[in-house]
Amino acid sequence: MVEFTLWDILRNLLLAARWTVGLSLIAFIGGGLVGFALLIARLTPSQGAHRLVGLYIQLFQGTPLLIQLFLAYFGLALFGIQTSAWTAATLALTAYTSAFLSEIWFGCVASVPRGQWEAARSLALTFGEQLRHVILPQALNIAIPPTVGFLVQVIKGTALASVIGFVELTKAGGMITNATFRPFTVYAAVALIYFALCYPISLTARALERTLHAAHR
Amino acid sequence: MPPIVEIAALYKSFGETQVLRGVDLNVEPGEVIAIIGRSGSGKSTLLRCINGLERFDSGAILIRNKQIDHDRAAAMRELRQQVGMIFQSFNLFPHLSVGRNIMLAPRLVKKRAARQGEEQARALLARVGLEEKFDAMPDRLSGGQQQRVAIARALAMEPAVLLCDEITSALDPELVGEVLRVVERLASDGMTLMMVTHEIGFARKIADRLVFMHQGKVHEMGPPEELFANPKTSELRQFLSSLHN
Amino acid sequence: MVNLDFGTILVDWRMLAKGVAWTLRLTTASATGGLALGIGCAWARIHGPVWLKAVTGAYVELFRNTPFIVQLFFIFFGLPAAGFRLSPETASILAMVVNLGAYATEIIRAGIEATPRGQVEAALSLALSPVQTFFHVVLPPALRKIWPALVSQIIIVMLGSSVCGQISTEELSFAANLIQSRNFRAFEAFIVAALIYLALSIVLRRLLNWLGPRFLFGD
Repeated sequence: MVEFTLWDILRNLLLAARWTVGLSLIAFIGGGLVGFALLIARLTPSQGAHRLVGLYIQLFQGTPLLIQLFLAYFGLALFGIQTSAWTAATLALTAYTSAFLSEIWFGCVASVPRGQWEAARSLALTFGEQLRHVILPQALNIAIPPTVGFLVQVIKGTALASVIGFVELTKAGGMITNATFRPFTVYAAVALIYFALCYPISLTARALERTLHAAHR
Repeated sequence: MPPIVEIAALYKSFGETQVLRGVDLNVEPGEVIAIIGRSGSGKSTLLRCINGLERFDSGAILIRNKQIDHDRAAAMRELRQQVGMIFQSFNLFPHLSVGRNIMLAPRLVKKRAARQGEEQARALLARVGLEEKFDAMPDRLSGGQQQRVAIARALAMEPAVLLCDEITSALDPELVGEVLRVVERLASDGMTLMMVTHEIGFARKIADRLVFMHQGKVHEMGPPEELFANPKTSELRQFLSSLHN
Repeated sequence: MVNLDFGTILVDWRMLAKGVAWTLRLTTASATGGLALGIGCAWARIHGPVWLKAVTGAYVELFRNTPFIVQLFFIFFGLPAAGFRLSPETASILAMVVNLGAYATEIIRAGIEATPRGQVEAALSLALSPVQTFFHVVLPPALRKIWPALVSQIIIVMLGSSVCGQISTEELSFAANLIQSRNFRAFEAFIVAALIYLALSIVLRRLLNWLGPRFLFGD
């Protein structure tokens, strides 16, 4: 039987962790862009747009991420598109992130006082100008801490991609456990690597909350 | 009869600032003491030391001949059954109705049964003139009404001494009278009262003794009329004249 | 074009119902356990000795910064190596309790710290013990304040129970997986599951918003 050292285990896990980081960043950035578009849609006067975006968010917040991943994986195949676990995971996580970020950001915009909108409108600014020069800059400060905090949720979400076969950190953990028969050590190491990724980000979000929030109040 | 409250050489500092610099004071059962003085003279701190909300640095406080022992929780609970407190900001429990506010402590501490607790609560509310408010929530009451409920709540524990820490200072002027009337009745019913107050006219009317505090010590004390007619120290004279402005 | 057949899924409604029952069982157990754990740890974080504050702090940070599936796998696959062999159901409940507990601790702690100091002083002045003050004066208003955040977290944990199917706990996603493995209608199976989860989250939110004021902090 082949003997695996702790370092062998760690090395393989860290290599797989690159995929975790990659998927997280793509989903976060992609989800941010889509989420921003959804935010703008929700801020237009169109009631129809409000309802559609609201429904979209309700769907993603009211169903498990795991089911969303399954639907992306099997759904794409159904419509004849070539699906790898990577494609499905990226699609599902991007959509998931876009819904949550859009909701977070909408809350931040909503907390900008009504008077700001009225003042901007009274100065004959167009809707786009109101957003760009008056509302969004103020909402930005409030939005940064929870947005940074959500990155942690995305990283944790990538772990579920393992279930549809994507080889990231958690899947690697499963595979290495099967090879080494040391589940305690392997999953402890997996947890610690996730912790090393997420904890600094959590701390940053908290620090940002303190500095930005204090300045805002 | 021994004094019900004995305070000897009490010292208390907050960090660098010495707030109480050797307070000596005895209170007889049934006495009404009004404590007056400038802000910062240590009045509220003194009161909060008597029921243990503040720990003093040196000296002694005896309630009914028993020393305050901060380190034993049971002793502190015993103390607080003897000494009740009414706060400037009322501090009613917002999630409980008026009746339940009054019934809570007797139920938990004295293990009073529900029916007796309710009877007592209704009787006390009647005593402060609010019997119809038994089921009301605190946020529906005016400031004066809330403070009267707070008095009823403290009386439910049947304390020997009642401490009143500027209990009308947070009230709109037109609501002050209703609270002072309740306190006056307590005094005439024989309750031992120690009040920190800015209502000098009221203090003159019902206090047996006025205690003027200055820079952390008892500077002068005596019957109100004596202190007003013949203030012995210049500090008291200055304080009294500042009141007329 | 695409041929969707929901009939083959709904024929197995009994299996779905069994899955829902398990999901509800898991959620109820973990909501009660997690809430109790959260109250205890919140108290420890505020009033406990230094070592206890550190231990609960480490627990909270560890479980909020690692994925639930990894926590579950560690408990189910990893603990047996240290001598603790658990059934899939027990492992699932344990993982969900400990996970919810970590989030609940922080949420409840924020609520407790927002209690005005005057309330505590009034309670102490009425001779209530610190324990009585905590349960009768501090906790009820705190829970009312943070109830929406707590309800949201419980729903997140309910949705997270879908992961427990990976260790063969027979909850809803496991049932859906089983059905699709037999009739190969994966997309339809998971659509049905998704809709059931959606309904569950809506109902659960209403139920908890009714339950909280009635039993925990109303009067």
